[in-house]
Amino acid sequence: MSSPILSLKNVTMRFGGVTALSDVTFDVKEKEILGLIGPNGAGKTTIFNVITGVYQITSGVIEFQGKSLKGIKRYKITRGGIARTFQNIRLWGDMTALENVMTATDTHKRSGLVGGLFGSPVSRREERRDKKRAQELLDFIGIGEYADRLAKNLPYGVQRRLEIARALGTEPKLILLDEPAAGFNPAEKVELAKVIRKIRDAGYTVLLIEHDMSLVMKVSDRVVVLDFGQKIADDVPIKVQDDPRVIEAYLGVPEDAS
Amino acid sequence: MINLRDKGAEIWEKANRPQRVIMAICFIAMAASLPFMGGTILNTPIADYESVLVFPVAMFVLMAIGLNIVIGKSGLLDLGYVAFFAIGAYTMGLLGTRTSLNTWEILPIGIAMAMFSGIILGVPALKLRGDYLAIITLGFGEIVRIVALNLGTLGRSEGILGIPTPPPVFGIEFTFDSHRIYYWTLLIIILLAIWMVRRLSVRRAGRAWESIRQDEDAAELMGVPTFKYKVWAFVLGASVGGAAGVFYASKTLFIAPDNFTLQISILILACVVFGGMGNIWGVIAGAVILGYLPDRIRFLSDARLLVFGLVLVIMMNLRPDGLLPRKKREKALPSKEKS
Amino acid sequence: MIGNFLDQFWSLTFGGLSLGFIYILIALGYTMVYGVLRMINFANSEVFMVATFATIIIVRDVYKFTQTSEYATGFQLWLILGTALLASMAVAGILSVLIELIAYRRLRRMNSGVLAPLISAIGVSMVLAETMRILTDSRPVASPRAMEKKFIGKFFDADIRLDNTIIIVAAIILLLLLLTFVNKTRLGKAIRAVSMNPNASKLMGINIDGVVSITFLVGGLMTGAAGFFYVLKYENSSFSIGFELGIAAFTAAILGGIGNIKGAFYGGLSLGLLETYASFFLGTQWKAVTVFTILVVVLYTKPNGLFGEALTQTRA
Repeated sequence: MSSPILSLKNVTMRFGGVTALSDVTFDVKEKEILGLIGPNGAGKTTIFNVITGVYQITSGVIEFQGKSLKGIKRYKITRGGIARTFQNIRLWGDMTALENVMTATDTHKRSGLVGGLFGSPVSRREERRDKKRAQELLDFIGIGEYADRLAKNLPYGVQRRLEIARALGTEPKLILLDEPAAGFNPAEKVELAKVIRKIRDAGYTVLLIEHDMSLVMKVSDRVVVLDFGQKIADDVPIKVQDDPRVIEAYLGVPEDAS
Repeated sequence: MINLRDKGAEIWEKANRPQRVIMAICFIAMAASLPFMGGTILNTPIADYESVLVFPVAMFVLMAIGLNIVIGKSGLLDLGYVAFFAIGAYTMGLLGTRTSLNTWEILPIGIAMAMFSGIILGVPALKLRGDYLAIITLGFGEIVRIVALNLGTLGRSEGILGIPTPPPVFGIEFTFDSHRIYYWTLLIIILLAIWMVRRLSVRRAGRAWESIRQDEDAAELMGVPTFKYKVWAFVLGASVGGAAGVFYASKTLFIAPDNFTLQISILILACVVFGGMGNIWGVIAGAVILGYLPDRIRFLSDARLLVFGLVLVIMMNLRPDGLLPRKKREKALPSKEKS
Repeated sequence: MIGNFLDQFWSLTFGGLSLGFIYILIALGYTMVYGVLRMINFANSEVFMVATFATIIIVRDVYKFTQTSEYATGFQLWLILGTALLASMAVAGILSVLIELIAYRRLRRMNSGVLAPLISAIGVSMVLAETMRILTDSRPVASPRAMEKKFIGKFFDADIRLDNTIIIVAAIILLLLLLTFVNKTRLGKAIRAVSMNPNASKLMGINIDGVVSITFLVGGLMTGAAGFFYVLKYENSSFSIGFELGIAAFTAAILGGIGNIKGAFYGGLSLGLLETYASFFLGTQWKAVTVFTILVVVLYTKPNGLFGEALTQTRA
């Protein structure tokens, strides 16, 4: 574990009168799996939204590889190396699984619209390469056999994993997973934990939001805990589990330990 | 209901290359031989059959292909499509009567003018939400017409008269009543447009548009430069509209603001919706049917717009995917899989 | 020119105000539906157009007025005006409810996104406008004058015309009734609840379909009243007036902030005045362009209008 790839410094996000994030500071180090947990409404997805540029933060700094993300367009943030999945699956239902991933791999193409129109050699080569790359990613995540199925017809679990493959398609350095195990049964969760480690081992950095404590604790190298928009803990899983503030945050809060 | 498009696509995919070439040639030959069918059941009782083939049928097809890039591919509701048609036509009218340029030389200029106005309109308008875009484009269409109606240079309500026909090509003369020649030329332009759209649809641009149509925010967060692609869709749609306009002016020899009302935008929209938004074959079928029928069936010709309005309501509520829906098929799972 | 303008300022203002009230009432047909469904009720313009014909039919065919008839006076005049107003409102209200049932409801159930209802609405507009065009032989229809447009007073140097006065007074009364309905009655409160949070309202046992129908009815009634006032002021109508007035009223709704009754009020008044003043300088042929320019400028610079909600929100 080395230098931070992403760092949030005193990040505050207000919506009208509501403070969703208050003075949050933490780093994501290169090639680690960082778990982000907290009770419902603690501001976890808001963190994802401010990192990916969906919201502009009220104050503070977010730096990716040492550069501020302030005011950078959303698609450029993705191109710069941050990709995400969505808590409520947002695939393009009328496209096949392969096309979903290919749309993401297109991010790094050189040939433009005109090249595509005239079928320039660059464009044709890129098309072939991307198709291959997309198939590889599907295989990597373990859903290769579904490549030609329309996304909306895929089983739920496959859709969740396709979201990950699609995010990987943008060739990120950092991937943000928003509750990838939501709705999974225990066997699927074990499978997913393997996939997440595999992603890290392939050289990606992972920031993971997950409700399932045992999964987070098992897979993360480090865990950041949020409560009411504030960071209350940031340590290795074993220490976080015993942190009294964390226990307090979770006690009495209806935790859907699914 | 049977999905005709799937049947067609299945036959096409099973065919090898020579078979495909033969099918394409047959299809084009059929389309090209339509002007000779005047003596058959296809004949139109109200208007001259061959001129009906040029306008509205072929012209509608061309414009529907253009509008389909905007609304069908990328899901942007453009209610002012007629503006680009008008800009193409007025470019032809002005340059054709005031300069020595001929139709073929004006064609690229007209297309460029339409594309340019597509950028002028699109860059600000495409930042707005879908339904507001519809209203803004509607306004743009009207503004273009009102400007034509009030500017002396554009002939006000009298329009522009005496627009020249295209000069001969390879000894083939374009005269006022040589409808067949115009029809065949249009057919070539249509084939070019089809080629362009198909080429773009299967590649990166097609995927980008598709992702924007289905979930624009997700597309942007997956690194698709959504705004750029929306402007491109708009501009490409405009270019087709502009080409149609140039050719229309050079065919009718006379244009006036009354040719470019909101109704045209809505007629073309009806063609696209009726045929099936997003699927180019559906759109072509829709434009052929809606362009042709009102001239074939007498009672329809008066109530043309009424029927088109009904088509919009009925299609949206009962068969929102149109006659030939966009791709819905998927390849079956391989029976034995191993990843 | 400026001198002329100052000379005519008050009479222009007075005419602009009565036009403004017509806009307000049509804008309500857009804004109330938008408030509840977040949808542009595109066909509202044609509801307005049909309502103008309802007024003409009452005056011409029910009360048998012709272009050469004597003006009505006293009780008879008020009876005619009252019937025409109520008939226009009723026709527009019912038509509006029917349009929702036929063209929107199914799509709303299917959750079909923004495009489909809009296209369906365009279809309905086309059907209404074309039916009227065929019925009127594509010609404008003049309304016989039942009421003498006499001057009833002076304000500064401007003559105050009876028709403008009736429009302003009656529209204010209608708006007060509407506010009472929305703020004080159970149904009105249900409408507000649904526009704030449809899902929660459903959970609270509010019948959403019922509320939507009532919203269309009320929006239609207001639009219908505008149809009557329009004929009272301009004494003619045509199958094609819906488009122009509709866009102007929609602009008014956006100007004030769509989805919000107060917004329609301020937007309508400002647009009525702006348009009247602008026509004085530029000529009436550029009226539509002026309106569109205002619409575009407002959408870019102040997309929330003066009182409205954000239009460019992200769903992520």
